[in-house]
Formats: sequence, C-alpha cells, structure tokens
Amino acid sequence: MERKIGETLLGVEHISLSFGGVKALTDISFNIREKEVFAIIGPNGAGKTSMLNVINGFYHPQQGEIHFKGLHRKQMRPHEAAVQGIARTFQNVALFKGMSTLNNIMAGRNLKMKTNLFWQALYYGPARTEEMINREYVEDIIDFLEIQSIRRTPVGKLPYGLQKRVELGRALAMAPELLLLDEPMAGMNIEEKQDMCRFIIDINEQYGTTIVLIEHDMGVVMDLSERLIVLDYGRKIAEGTPDEIRGNQVVIDAYLGVAHTN
Amino acid sequence: MFYREAGQFKTTYISDQELFPVKQDRWGILLIIGFSFIVIPLIANDYWLQAILIPFLIFSLAALGLNILTGYAGQLSLGTGGFMAVGAYSCYKLVTIFPETNVILLILVSGFFSAGIGLIFGIPSLKIKGFYLAVATLAAQFFFEWLFGRVKWFYNYNDSGAIEVPVRKFFDIAVTGPIATAQTRYVVVLCIVTFLALIAVNIVRGRIGRAWMAIRDMDIAAELIGIRPLTTKLIAFAISSYYAGVAGALFVFAYLGSAEVEVFDINISFEILFMIIIGGLGSISGAFLGAAFIVLIPILITNLPRMLGMPINAATVEHFNFMILGALIVLFLIFEPHGLAKIWTIMREKLRVWPFPY
Repeated sequence: MERKIGETLLGVEHISLSFGGVKALTDISFNIREKEVFAIIGPNGAGKTSMLNVINGFYHPQQGEIHFKGLHRKQMRPHEAAVQGIARTFQNVALFKGMSTLNNIMAGRNLKMKTNLFWQALYYGPARTEEMINREYVEDIIDFLEIQSIRRTPVGKLPYGLQKRVELGRALAMAPELLLLDEPMAGMNIEEKQDMCRFIIDINEQYGTTIVLIEHDMGVVMDLSERLIVLDYGRKIAEGTPDEIRGNQVVIDAYLGVAHTN
Repeated sequence: MFYREAGQFKTTYISDQELFPVKQDRWGILLIIGFSFIVIPLIANDYWLQAILIPFLIFSLAALGLNILTGYAGQLSLGTGGFMAVGAYSCYKLVTIFPETNVILLILVSGFFSAGIGLIFGIPSLKIKGFYLAVATLAAQFFFEWLFGRVKWFYNYNDSGAIEVPVRKFFDIAVTGPIATAQTRYVVVLCIVTFLALIAVNIVRGRIGRAWMAIRDMDIAAELIGIRPLTTKLIAFAISSYYAGVAGALFVFAYLGSAEVEVFDINISFEILFMIIIGGLGSISGAFLGAAFIVLIPILITNLPRMLGMPINAATVEHFNFMILGALIVLFLIFEPHGLAKIWTIMREKLRVWPFPY
C-alpha cells in the first residue's frame, strides 16, 4: 500500500517545561507530519518521556504551544487529548491488571461508546448493539496482534512481552490519529522485538496512523523511523533523517558513541 | 464430568457475552432463583425467614452497593451506614407524606435520596484516595447519625425517637408493618434484591463497569484513554449509595419494623465492609457469599454447641463471634484477598477438568 506523508499533523513550538528549578525541556520545536514514523531518542533523563507527557496533556509546559490538526492550545487535559485522537503506551506497562485482555482493549473503546446508564443497566437494545459493534472492532485488533489465545486471561498474569502487546492493542482500540509509543521494545528479546516492529510498520501502513516512537534500540529506530530528533539535557541537539543523525558529530558525542577499536 | 462446556459453541458475540455462557451455570442459577422464589416461601418457617434469609438478602444488597464502589471503582468507603440511614429515613418520610402510594415504589425511590447524598460525599474522591477517602466518608457516617438522632422532624416528633413502620398494603396484602407476614416480606425483599442485582451485573459488564475497573487499576492510564475520573467516580458513588439506601429502607421496613438511628452506626459500615472483603472485592456473587457468611457465622456459633450438647451462654457466643470473625478477616486478607468468590472460581476451574485434570 502506498503511504503518503502529508501535511503537518502535530506542531511543537518552543516548549519549555520545568519542575521547580529543574528544567526538563528547554525551547523545543519540531513538526510531525501525517502518516510518518517519527522517533525521539536521547540518553536517559534527556526529557523524552516528558515530551510525550506534554503532547498528550499530562504535563503543562510553562512556555510554548502545541498545535494538533490545526488546533492551537497552550494547555489541555489528558481526556481532551484522547478525544482529539492521541493515544499512547507507557514505558512501564500501565494496563488494568485486574481485567482480562478483552476488557482492557474494550476499555480503549470507551470514547466510542455512548449509551446511557438506563440501557447499560438493561444490557439490551442500544447498549447491546453498541457492545457488539465494538466487540467486533476489538476482535479485529486481537487478530491483528495475534493474541486470540489470551483473550480471557487477566493481564496481570501475562508475561511482559504480551502485556506490552495488549497495551498496544488498547491504544489501537481508540482508533488514534497519533500514536505515542514510549519504549515499546524495552526488555524484549529479539523475537518479540521483531514482532513488535512488524506491528508498528503494519499499524502505520494499514491504519495510516502517525507514530511517535521513543526507543533505545538504535537498529530499530534507524530502520523504522523516517525522521527523528535527538534530545540531551532537555534540549534538542539534532533533527533529521536516520542517515543524517548517524553522521552527526554532536549526536555521536552525546548519545550514540563510537565503536571501540583497540 | 458433568460440568463441561465441551460442545457448547459460540457463534455470535451476543451468545459469547451472555451472563452465564456455560449452560450448566445458566441452569444452576435459574434453579437457585426458582427455589428461592417458590420453594422457600412454602417450606421455610418464620425463624428461618425472619432471622436468616431476610437479613441475608438485605445485607447482600448493601454489600453489593459497597462492592460497586470499593470493589469495582476502587474507592474505599466507611459511610455505608450513613447512606443506609438516609434511605431508611427518607423512605419513612415519604411513607408519611404519601400514605396512598405503593410502599415498594417508595422504597425504590428513597434510594435516590441517598444517591444524591452519595454524590456530594463522592466529590472529595477526585483529590483524595485510599484511607484518606475512607476518613472523608466517615464524615457521612457520623453526620447522618447525628442528624437523624437530633432533628425531630425526621422521626415525626415521636416521643421514643424511633421510626415505627406503618402498615401498608399492596393488593390487600400487608407488605410492611407489624401484621405483615414474614413470607410476604421475604418475597418483597427477594424481588427487589434480584432485580437490583441483575442491574448491577449488567452495569459492571458494560462500558461503565470497565471504566470503574480502569480507574481502580490504573487511574492515569484510564484518563489517557478518555475516561473522565470525576464523572466515573461520582457515578460509582451515586449507584453504590442508591443500593445502600434501598438496603437501609428495607432494613427498617422489611426486617426491623421499627428502628432508632443507632442501628445504622459505624458497626454496620464495618460489617458490610467485612462482607465484601470475605466475599470478594470486585465480584457480584462475592457480595452474596460474604453476606451469607457473616449472617450465618453467629447463628452457627450459637447453635452448633447446643446441637453438640455443650450449651454455652450468650455472652461467650458474642465473644467467640468477634474473635472468629476477626481471625477470618485477617486470614482472608493474607491467603485469599479476592475472597470466597475467588475460591468458588478456582473450584469451578477444577470441576471443569475433573476427574482428569491433565
């Protein structure tokens, strides 16, 4: 399927964020275009996760603006970000541990479900129809992520790699336009990483979802992303295509390093 | 061997999401409901109905309400007694003001008053969590005990300070008051409890139930997938208090007959909390199992020694009751935090593969 990189979907302009005296982000600007896979890399504590938290409204930056789909905003609540179509996964899995895989992903459909308490209480008519329509959508995601066999398992009992997959499923259930993935491959073995890469590419191609990726596995980042920015100490030190970044001396000094040749 | 789902294929999502997807479960629950509606009123004597079954059903309803709030939505509450009192007293006032209206309807309506009160006391839950929220709900407990004890209007300026349930009839059968038979009151309570339990089951398996559990398990992630924390918690408070209110109204109207505000003291709040801890947090059947357990244990302790020919006096029974209950709560919290409902689930899983568990 032909994928077209479109107009700017998300613009970040001069964002500065600090907690008390600690500056987490300083004057960061970049653009993410429609349907692209965009990566944020940098050493630990560089402010990558803070950047995601700013994008989906969890942190409120002291300075700067964000515009998403042409809408400018200085502040918004996480709920509004979700309504506008921003979904994310977390670095340390944030699933609903007591619920089954199916219910976790169904919870992701929450915003698409509207029936009122009356019909919910009867579980009949509109409520049941709505439940079935969304169940079908969720089953497609379950098929896509190949997790049919763990549909009824409480996610607290699942191994880490599968939990990450369920979390991705929950984010996908929101049918997001922008998907923020915070280290989706941390702590995985090579096979799980390959699966996850395949899912990310497929999500991007089949659903046309724009993806922002934070990842430490440079092989993965360089292969998957079209463009990336590098953060260090809360500042943007580079932006460009993987090839440009690989050759950038500042990035090599700050993060990538060089192979030892003794 | 007999409890198998082999051969029961689900071909639509509707049939897959039925309340009891396994055929044996479906028949089992229908059997229980049929038995309690038809057989029990015919065979049970007044002692069984009045001392065991009616309080069991009413406590189940209250535990169900608290389980919605604490077990499903994860908001610890110690105000159950207060919310029950609101239900009872508003039902009493409604019966006084509208003597002609059907009392069953009034009992159901009085739940809305405590739902409203629950909403107000749920507002702090946005900012405070866990034990601190429990303390905030304690305020409801003490405030309403004080209010209904002091303001004479609530008990119609009775000299005794108690509310006396008047006789109310439904199709010429006395439903409440001193002349209502235990059978009638049992059937009324059973109808209301069955109806409300069915509604609770439906709510917790749909969108709202998932939102509650999401808030309980990981509130930050829930917010990021578009669940509004305040709205979701407030709905839980309202529905939970509705159940508590109806339970409180039934407690006075169908069980005690007359009551002072002291019956709704802090002990009843704790007792209902213990029911859901022992029965199972976050489970509808757990509310019933826990209520059965806590209602039956004292009766068992009273009667067992007598049956074995070792009579003990009432005070000793009381002490034993407290000790055994306390020990059980500690043991459950350590060994099976999900309570009797979880034990039941494990047994069912074992039963499915019995007698060839491999």
